[in-house]
Amino acid sequence: MLSFALRRMLAAVPLILGVATLVFIALSLVPGDPALIYLRPGVSPEVLERIRETMGLDDPLGIRYGKWLWAFLHGDFGYSHFYQMPVRARVLAALPNTLLLASGALFLSFLIGVLVGVLQAVKRGSLLDSVLSGVTLFFYSIPSFWLALMLILIFSLGIWGGPFSFPVSGSTSPGAALLSPWDQLTDRLHHLVLPTLTLTLILTGGVARYVRTSMLEVIQQDYIRTARAKGLPESKVILKHGLRNGLIPVVTLFGVYFPFLLSGAVLIEVVFAWPGMGRLMLEAIHSRDYPVVLAGTFLFGVMVVLGNLLADLLYGVVDPRIRERRG
Amino acid sequence: MKRSLSFLLFFALSTTACVGEPGDGSGVGLQDAFCGPAMARVDSFMATFAGQEPVGERYGGTVVLGSLGDVSGMGPGDAISVEAAQHQQFLNFMTLIEFDENLEPAPYLATSWEISEDQTELTFHLRGDVYWHDGERTTAQDVAFTYLTVINPESEYANPGYFQAYLPGEEGVEVVDPLTVKFHFNPHADILETWRNLSILPHHLLGDVPTAELARHPFGGVCPVGNGPFRFSSRSPGDSWTWEANPAFPEALGGRPYLDRYVYRVIPSHTTLMAELLAGGVDVYIQMLPNHAVMAREEPSLRVPTFPYPSIFFVAWNSRVPELADARVRRALTLGINRPQLIEGIQRGEAILLNSGIPPVHWAYDPTLEDSLRYDPDQARTLLDTAGWVDRDGDGFRENGDGAPLQIDLVYNQNQERQQVAEVMRVQLQDIGVDLRPRVLERMTYSGVITSVEREFDGALVTFETGFRIDDRDLFHSEVRDGFYAFSGTVDPELDRYLDTLQLIPDWEEALPVWQAYQLRLLEVQPYTYLYSALRRNGVNRRLQGVAMDTRGDLASIRHWWTDPQSRRTP
Repeated sequence: MLSFALRRMLAAVPLILGVATLVFIALSLVPGDPALIYLRPGVSPEVLERIRETMGLDDPLGIRYGKWLWAFLHGDFGYSHFYQMPVRARVLAALPNTLLLASGALFLSFLIGVLVGVLQAVKRGSLLDSVLSGVTLFFYSIPSFWLALMLILIFSLGIWGGPFSFPVSGSTSPGAALLSPWDQLTDRLHHLVLPTLTLTLILTGGVARYVRTSMLEVIQQDYIRTARAKGLPESKVILKHGLRNGLIPVVTLFGVYFPFLLSGAVLIEVVFAWPGMGRLMLEAIHSRDYPVVLAGTFLFGVMVVLGNLLADLLYGVVDPRIRERRG
Repeated sequence: MKRSLSFLLFFALSTTACVGEPGDGSGVGLQDAFCGPAMARVDSFMATFAGQEPVGERYGGTVVLGSLGDVSGMGPGDAISVEAAQHQQFLNFMTLIEFDENLEPAPYLATSWEISEDQTELTFHLRGDVYWHDGERTTAQDVAFTYLTVINPESEYANPGYFQAYLPGEEGVEVVDPLTVKFHFNPHADILETWRNLSILPHHLLGDVPTAELARHPFGGVCPVGNGPFRFSSRSPGDSWTWEANPAFPEALGGRPYLDRYVYRVIPSHTTLMAELLAGGVDVYIQMLPNHAVMAREEPSLRVPTFPYPSIFFVAWNSRVPELADARVRRALTLGINRPQLIEGIQRGEAILLNSGIPPVHWAYDPTLEDSLRYDPDQARTLLDTAGWVDRDGDGFRENGDGAPLQIDLVYNQNQERQQVAEVMRVQLQDIGVDLRPRVLERMTYSGVITSVEREFDGALVTFETGFRIDDRDLFHSEVRDGFYAFSGTVDPELDRYLDTLQLIPDWEEALPVWQAYQLRLLEVQPYTYLYSALRRNGVNRRLQGVAMDTRGDLASIRHWWTDPQSRRTP
């Protein structure tokens, strides 16, 4: 399995480089001059010219590409003029925040989504099935930023009035570094609640509906009937024989959601002022911070490949036939 | 699966492990080599004040200020951004002088100054009790170094033009003794204004850094060692900056600030900012939306300081296109726009009508001009008729003698205020037979369109933060008609004369009549339709005391901010 994973990773290298190259070309074709972000009276054209120069924008496209590729292959992602720091440091400041948020939401949404989907499939046509369908469809359909604002209204601005109150935004409280390690951890978790809840609710709906459909197909199969005829308890029939087969298509969904969470949670990160990759990319695109955009694109490419690889490996876990074929 | 997760973890850890390798070309190695020792010296100097904390109920607490965008850094090149400039000027560093509440120059790093009678020399006498946050004393050498750095375009300092009248290079500055520095220049306007803006840099830390490398030096973005009332503590890029009180700040200037800590938080959504202010997560919300200000004024726990600010909002008319070449047409357009209605409807009355690029807070602002070119559609129609634009085919829009329609393309970048203004203008100008066509552009594309030599626009909605030093030569002087900022491209010898003269008169009394004549001439030429100068609205939690936000800036009084001990945020 390790050699399979390595083969897949190596095969992805030209793909990721190709994507980054396409993005580089696309960015250079976008109208507007990145140095113009500093446009205001008194800023002399000489200074703007100097900024263009330090951004490397006065070179022809081919030379710029060559310089970028050479540095890139040597692990130098360049310098962010907007943040006044090396791109790698800037990306590494944002990446852990996104990974934390995304992994939590991904875990919870699959956990809850699978449970709800299985329950719906087992209780097909019941009142419970209808209610859960309504709820999951509701969360699946509403805009994420609206849900985020509603959760802030309910849980942060005191409309709920319950015993818990969560911070409106941010990943830590101001001055959190001065707290004890335990308090820092609880502070961090406290800040994670609302963004994770929003993402989880949005994603769970999709997972649950997917699992429900998949399980409905599976539990009508002959081998399930055979398992029941053997006299196995219903829980064993569903969990051992049904779920294992029902999860195979869900693994594909995991492969798709994994990179989406890193790049697609932009609105959640903006509403909750969560300092992650989505927000960084949005700001970088707005300010034409090309080195950051390119590094982010590279990272997203890696995540797509990793997501698909994880999905492929998970196929092997849930389906022994695939494992044997690779082995 | 376990193996895959291990791979992911390995990837994340190996990427992290790369940070800080010396000479990796990304600047991370330099960051560690410079910032580590520099911040260690700061910590060590600050530690010498342990146990000497002043006693009093005002001392202590943390204040959080929320704003939409990040502060890019504390380097000289970062002063280009208003937020960065404020934090440099009022927190991290010191300027030679500051303005008091009446905008009169007051001593700060300099205890006194003299301008020679012939207006060619300015001598500053510095305080002897100002220390850099690492313990080195601030001297005249630092001031001279700062000056020589910023006049070099390689430093990427935004406004080297401030020093245009100074003698070139090292001839412009003279270190008389460790606490006295003298500048040499030709007579010019606003001699002191420059020194209110310019934050002094530490020569002992940056003296060996080539100027061309300063803009990318970690000093600005990672470890800015200053000498101001607050010392830099930490930065989480894209998220927050934290400063702590500087216990070594001179007693004569108020000593250590009351606050223990000041945090600048980036919150990229107005709605979240408002929610944070209501929930108490931030104490100050900078530049509130008008509807949020209305909401905040109804909240007993909040107040909304509202004050004039040196910013202007205008429509630049491109006189290079035939439709707008005639000043009568441009004046008619101004007369056809109901600007008081725009102020009432869009800014909820919280803006001041403008008729020139001089904001109301500037000493040369002429309030008598406020009634000029007031909304008068009848006069606008007459002017257009006289200029040869009449509705010849009865479609409601005017054409010239050749049948070309009076169609004007108005560009703006995406922003709710501009979108509303453009739409209201379209309807109002339709009433006088002008076919205004608003066109929204992405921000950088918009900047490219209005500054390019081709100038592919007819009108453009523009906002400028002017500061207190006004020099419109880049905008209107015929010598720079193809220049970057010559949006309008009008050519008027009389305007040229005023523009040349104004920058040479140091004395305000002598300059005032020229400024007035200049503004009257602008009304005639009308390269722009000046719309208004919006008041600045900040939401402030009432537990925060001693806040005097005014024209000088949101943070001008931060040394005197303190929080109510009963509701104080700690740590």
